[in-house]
Amino acid sequence: MIKIWFAGLMRERNGRLLGAAVGIAVTIAMLAALGAFLAQSNASMTQRAVAGVPVDWQVQLVPGTARGLVSDAIKKATAIATVQSVGYADVDGFEAHTGGTVQTTGKGKVVGFDATYLHDFPKQFRLLIGSMDGVLVAQQTAANLHVTVGDSVTILRPALPPVIVKVGGVIDLPNADSMFQAIGVPAGAAPQAPPDNVLLLPLSEWQSLFDPQAVVRPDSVRLQLHVGLIHTHLPHDPLAAFVAVHGAEKNLEIRIAGKGLVADNLAARLDAVRSDALYARVLFLFLGAPGALLAIFLTVAVVASGGTRRRRDQALLRIRGASRRQILQIAAVEAMFVGLSGAVGGLVLAEILSRTLLGVSVFAPAAFYSTIAAVSMGILLAQAAILVTAWRDAQQTTVAAARMTGRDKRYGLWLRTGLDFILIGLAAVIFWKTWSTGYQVVLAPEGTPASSVDYVAFLAPVLMWMGIGLLTTRLCLVGFQRGKRFLALGLQPIAGTLSGVVSAAISRQSNRMTQGIGLVALAFAFATSTAIFNTNYHAQTRVDAELTNGADVTVTGTALAPASAKLKELKALPGVLAAEPMQHRLAYVGTDLQDLYGIDAARVGEATRMSNAYFANGNAAKTLALLQQTPDGILISEETVNEFQLQPGDLINLRLQNSNDHQYYVVPFHFIGIVREFPTAPRDSFLVANARYIGQMTGTNASEIILLKTSAPPAQVANAARVIAETLPGAKVTDIGEAQRLIGSSLTAVDLDGLTRLELGLSILMVASATGLILALGLADRRRTFAILSALGAKPRQLGAFLWSEAALLFLVGSVIGILTGFLLAWMLVKLLTGAFDPPPDHLLVPWVYIGLLVMVALISVALAVMGSLRETRIPAVQRMREL
Amino acid sequence: MNKTLIHADAIGRSYAQGEAQVAAIVSATFLLKEQDRIAIIGRSGSGKSTLMHLMAGLDVPTSGTLMWPELGAPDTLLPEQIALVFQAPSLLEPLTVSENVALPLLLANFTGDIAAAVRAALATFHLQELAHKLPEELSGGQMQRVAMARAIVGNPRVILADEPTGQLDQPTGHALLDALLVHLAGTSTALVISTHDPLVAKRMNTIWQMDQGVLKTNVTSIEAV
Ligand SMILES: Nc1ncnc2c1ncn2[C@@H]1O[C@H](COP(=O)(O)OP(=O)(O)OP(=O)(O)O)[C@@H](O)[C@H]1O
Ligand SMILES: [Mg+2]
Repeated sequence: MIKIWFAGLMRERNGRLLGAAVGIAVTIAMLAALGAFLAQSNASMTQRAVAGVPVDWQVQLVPGTARGLVSDAIKKATAIATVQSVGYADVDGFEAHTGGTVQTTGKGKVVGFDATYLHDFPKQFRLLIGSMDGVLVAQQTAANLHVTVGDSVTILRPALPPVIVKVGGVIDLPNADSMFQAIGVPAGAAPQAPPDNVLLLPLSEWQSLFDPQAVVRPDSVRLQLHVGLIHTHLPHDPLAAFVAVHGAEKNLEIRIAGKGLVADNLAARLDAVRSDALYARVLFLFLGAPGALLAIFLTVAVVASGGTRRRRDQALLRIRGASRRQILQIAAVEAMFVGLSGAVGGLVLAEILSRTLLGVSVFAPAAFYSTIAAVSMGILLAQAAILVTAWRDAQQTTVAAARMTGRDKRYGLWLRTGLDFILIGLAAVIFWKTWSTGYQVVLAPEGTPASSVDYVAFLAPVLMWMGIGLLTTRLCLVGFQRGKRFLALGLQPIAGTLSGVVSAAISRQSNRMTQGIGLVALAFAFATSTAIFNTNYHAQTRVDAELTNGADVTVTGTALAPASAKLKELKALPGVLAAEPMQHRLAYVGTDLQDLYGIDAARVGEATRMSNAYFANGNAAKTLALLQQTPDGILISEETVNEFQLQPGDLINLRLQNSNDHQYYVVPFHFIGIVREFPTAPRDSFLVANARYIGQMTGTNASEIILLKTSAPPAQVANAARVIAETLPGAKVTDIGEAQRLIGSSLTAVDLDGLTRLELGLSILMVASATGLILALGLADRRRTFAILSALGAKPRQLGAFLWSEAALLFLVGSVIGILTGFLLAWMLVKLLTGAFDPPPDHLLVPWVYIGLLVMVALISVALAVMGSLRETRIPAVQRMREL
Repeated sequence: MNKTLIHADAIGRSYAQGEAQVAAIVSATFLLKEQDRIAIIGRSGSGKSTLMHLMAGLDVPTSGTLMWPELGAPDTLLPEQIALVFQAPSLLEPLTVSENVALPLLLANFTGDIAAAVRAALATFHLQELAHKLPEELSGGQMQRVAMARAIVGNPRVILADEPTGQLDQPTGHALLDALLVHLAGTSTALVISTHDPLVAKRMNTIWQMDQGVLKTNVTSIEAV
């Protein structure tokens, strides 16, 4: 019996089965592609984080501990790739005699390392001049001592006679912070600034100089083991990778308790990425989930369509003696078939989409679980949709009931209790609360494995989404009931004399219409909010990258070889719109060495974006104008302002290095405002002042940095600039694209380009299918109406009145509500993620072109659906009468 | 002199069924004039419904000639000139009784007082009480009466009723017929009813018989069949 029925089903209802399978396939494809993307971006986040760590672990030996003991313990704790010994010695200072003067520095450090160290940890040093083997001096120290390759430097050892060494090279220490970190201090303690003066020696030479010092001053000499772990076994997910590395480190700590202390740089970096991974997960949820939900709704709509007909079929089966169980069995077979074919189709679609758009594979090992989850979801969905519908039908099926279609007078409990208003109110309250308190969506406290996403905050858009959905339903139901006359008036232009009948027919089928409008609105809301969010997100990654990189292209020289020497050539490069010099000096604020940027306040905005969010008063133009009017004005970061309790107008004395004698002299400034971010500036403390004033006070107008705004592709201009900068030793040229790829510490690090394309594509598809499908699907239940009307003598144009009216209503109401909701949701989402955007956007960008396209596609899809349905009217009426 | 409304000369209607041709109507020749009262009888499947669809211009004969000398082109017959009452239930579910009855007037762009015309048509079949009910709230017999009211509302020149009493018990069916005949008395409207009920057939002036697709118009009495 089941076999016969199924064969019949395949023959006659293949449209519905196919529709359901396609719905399942799209749902699976959407989930699987998004899941694969999430897994992949998590994996690359981990990879990037791991690659960015110069030294995974630094193990500091307690004086007197044998090196071998500890390195054995390390090998037992985890799989390691390499171990290097590094010596650190505190010295009283360095001295140099150059050009007839004597320069003496304050306290400094001498580091000893093996010749093979650089091979194992290549990111630790960058050679500026000279050669790597021999004595190396850090750039800042070289500047302080005014020495270069070939000069002699005296090392002032505590309690031992000084020694003289000859400088072989000048280097940059890009990772000075981690290299000289205090190991063993509790997490959260004030970070220690790296030493101002550093000299590096080959390990053997270091040992001969400082082993004696270790005897007289044991506290001034330390030996560290720098460890590189094997990264291939790390979990893909940053959270899991963090837990793994952190666990191994804890294990090591126990093994070497009392003998050594561990600094886990790798775990710290993974720790920082964890929050990004959580943000990515949140994004996935809030961009992907509504889409998947929509796909599910659409599938259910397909399955539930043609209900009249299916109920009649069921009634016939019942008459012929089929039990309810058998009917459900038939449905289960149908569901299995739909689910499996949907799964196969979905996987194929997902693979095609994610390969072409996202550059990932749903079959990649990282995506294993998400793909399995997506497929099981799809199959479950098929079962649920088909079985539930069949079961519900079976409940109602009597021969008499089979004849009934059309109206349904039941009102949901939610309507009576006003659930929609409650939800919207709750959403507003949660949103207002989280927004007004300036909270953090993602919490991953540094140093602890615990991390959390404040999902409660995200309840706001979710509740709003549901609330608006229900409110739309309420308005439609009430509107259809009470507003029949109004509806008739509105439909007059389309339906003419039939408008009264058409509006009566529509309002008595308010359930079906409301459902349709709801789905269309949902599709529009999804598409609009995704598009708006993605547009702002994309703009934000650019802003973020520009902030990091400084401008489209940035040429960074050194104090010895400032980039401003090449300003003219750089300005003349093809594709350069503006070139602005910016000084980058170091200044002592009290004992604290901070970055100081010297700008031309009137012109810096020509080469790089001056966002309002950079300044505490939220007004870039005003702040820069004030700086320009105050020659000795200075903008200071919040931290420093708080630390020194500064008030606007206060005099603040900094110490800047003079270019003539390389000594630091006091320079007075007036504090005029707080700066939060600045192109190329570090995140924490820095200063911004007028370049002209700094030039006057330090004896050099030279600017270390040149910012370029380009009309040609930045990478191309950067290549040309590199040729020019070649003659500047130590100069670096970077473009915004690199920065965009490299930023590893914020939400915007997740590359959403492909995802955006996928989502925008899918949402257009869903808007098209929501509008078209709803109309086309209603057709099965409208056949009868058509047959009767045409047998009564209705002309095709008059049949069209029914269809066009319905379509117009569905499209207009659905799209208006949907687009408005989309705006609201996107606005909420952007506001909620303000903390992640760095800096937050000044105002919401709206992708009008995409929204226009969306409306167009929906219109076309509506028109196609109506015209397709109207083709039905060409079937002779008699033929249709026989189908009644 | 009653004018000729429909003129059929050896019309046939056959359907292609795979390779073969199935003839629903082999041959039918007849004249339908004003004021005619005709019953079409015949076995199930003999072609009665098909013939009515042809007469209404809903379907096109595959052979012979069919003309409506007084009524106009085939595609303009419904709903102004000819009204068709179906064998199957044919009310639109989302519309009330009066809205259903008003449909032919609306489709014909009727310019007069639609409400009044609908009221009158409903009164003819004693349906005033049901005016605002929905079809699902009606009994089968009531539905047939509404369908009948819908047929007469536009004062068509021909009413074709395909087994209008098929779903009713005899007394109800006859009452329906009575009401219809009273309404049509004194008008020039022609009435054609297909039926399996000899008593209904007897109430008509003329009996036609469909026999395996062949129409016989020379049936003298129902007893002869
Ligand atoms: N679209 C079609 N395709 C094939 N055959 C058809 C089609 N429509 C009607 N027929 C056939 O034409 C014949 C006449 O059908 P019709 O409905 O006119 O009979 P009827 O006399 O009205 O029967 P009943 O009294 O049962 O209503 C039947 O044999 C039917 O099967
Ligand atoms: Mg029939």
